[in-house]
Amino acid sequence: MSSRADFAAAADDLAIRVLGALRGAKGTALVARHIDSAPDALAALAAIRVIGADTFSPYVLAGAAFHAEDAAAVARSFEAFPLPGSGPSAPVDERTAAWRDWATAQLLSRLGGRGTWRVDAAQPEGDVALADTADWQRWSVRMAQLATLATPGLEGPVHDAARGAALPLSRGVTRSVLRRDFPTAVRLIRWLAWLAHEGVPLPLEPLLALEHVRLLGGESPRTALDLAVARHLLEGRHHQGTQEVRT
Amino acid sequence: MTVPEPVATAARSMADRALSWLHANRAHGALPEGTTETIADPDSVYKPLGETTLAASVLLRDGVAGAGQLVAAQALMDFTWRQLREGDMLYERQLRHTLMTDPLEMYAPFVRCGYRHADLDRLLAHRARLRSVDGVELLPNRRLAVANAARVAGLDHDADWAALARATWLGSTPEPWAINWITAYAMTHTVFHLTDWGGRPHGLPPDLTAYVRTWLPVWIDIWREVGQWDLVAELLIVGASLDEPYCEPSDWEAIAALQHEDGFVPRDADPVDDDPLQRFKDHQHTVVVTAVAGSIALARAAREP
Repeated sequence: MSSRADFAAAADDLAIRVLGALRGAKGTALVARHIDSAPDALAALAAIRVIGADTFSPYVLAGAAFHAEDAAAVARSFEAFPLPGSGPSAPVDERTAAWRDWATAQLLSRLGGRGTWRVDAAQPEGDVALADTADWQRWSVRMAQLATLATPGLEGPVHDAARGAALPLSRGVTRSVLRRDFPTAVRLIRWLAWLAHEGVPLPLEPLLALEHVRLLGGESPRTALDLAVARHLLEGRHHQGTQEVRT
Repeated sequence: MTVPEPVATAARSMADRALSWLHANRAHGALPEGTTETIADPDSVYKPLGETTLAASVLLRDGVAGAGQLVAAQALMDFTWRQLREGDMLYERQLRHTLMTDPLEMYAPFVRCGYRHADLDRLLAHRARLRSVDGVELLPNRRLAVANAARVAGLDHDADWAALARATWLGSTPEPWAINWITAYAMTHTVFHLTDWGGRPHGLPPDLTAYVRTWLPVWIDIWREVGQWDLVAELLIVGASLDEPYCEPSDWEAIAALQHEDGFVPRDADPVDDDPLQRFKDHQHTVVVTAVAGSIALARAAREP
């Protein structure tokens, strides 16, 4: 029986591997290695769903070579756990998870090649709460949960919402830094970095905020991964060969 | 409409009840028998007297509180004026301490409401010409307080408001996530003095107005969450003093709901002392701020087309 700690440890393990590849470490298929070397196979598969689309960040952002075994491992993680509800009547937490799965599936189908590893994670429908930024506090917390979607090449309603919400996202960053909720701050700064990458003007300087939360909030493996992605976006170092995926 | 109807309703209740409380509890703010111009501990009673005077003067200036409250505001000013021996104490203190700024700052709200002390007027006019006075080293938001007091007292000597504004924390349009509690107070006072307590919304330069509009919702949110009611009420004044007021009904209703029937408003989420004098010492400032916030928002609502 996998404990909560096992799941967290597995997610950290995968984050460390992804981070290594993102920073330029060359080598074997990282996701497959993560599964093969895991003490707890179920937790290792769950970790892939947790890290989600970021599993692909070395390929999307740094142009690393993609391995077919990795695609297979990601596909297995979808078989191991049920898909969350993605319809308008599903609870918001489930729809959030469904968006993350959708993002993972998008990148899998693009990078996996020839459609062999396509998984059936539908784009959530009728998520009207995405466009409602009036309650910017609650909205920005949800966007933090959707931070893996702040990845070049992904396009959809979440991105449309973010593009029109530089102010709510910046307020969310400011609020979470002042509340010392650094994990949320980092994820929202990642959205700001994505907006900067898109050329959207911002009311605050994302690189300074990023450095501030890195120094004050520390770097757990998953936070470090968000920070690394954000830095790639801000410094324009991401791999230019990616194609946009729009559904 | 930039001051929504629920805000005006909350503001009326806040201003009227706060003023009633200040009037009912005024005796707690009396200077100890035999106080002279030396004032060993100015923050204990002397400064609160000035704050009560300020609240009453803003209500009288705005003139939008209830008729009974306006009478009470005038009575409060008469009370604090008598406490200061009808200006003699301010005059003696300024006479003895040329470089001190508090006699001028205490005097300004009286001048606004027509209370004058001829000797003090002459002394202040002389003092305003001294480079030594102008050169006194003050925090930039305090320098603004003195400049606004001089303006209200009719001693304006070509103050460079843009430069004064630029020198403050707010003036640098800083990272909004690096504010702290004491700096938030510096920011609110920068806005208070540049806008003369909401009476001159254009006094806050346009870029600073835009900056405040952008981040004020966040600051109100985080200090509401931790129950820093005194600071939240000051932030409400800031919002109501902007060129286009920022007044979110839930914020105003939160403070109005916090206010006791008699007008008392707790400064924070800590337990409140039962002793009436201690209550006055601890919370009088918050009641002052609540009265001022209510008056300014009502005045802004009344001025709208």
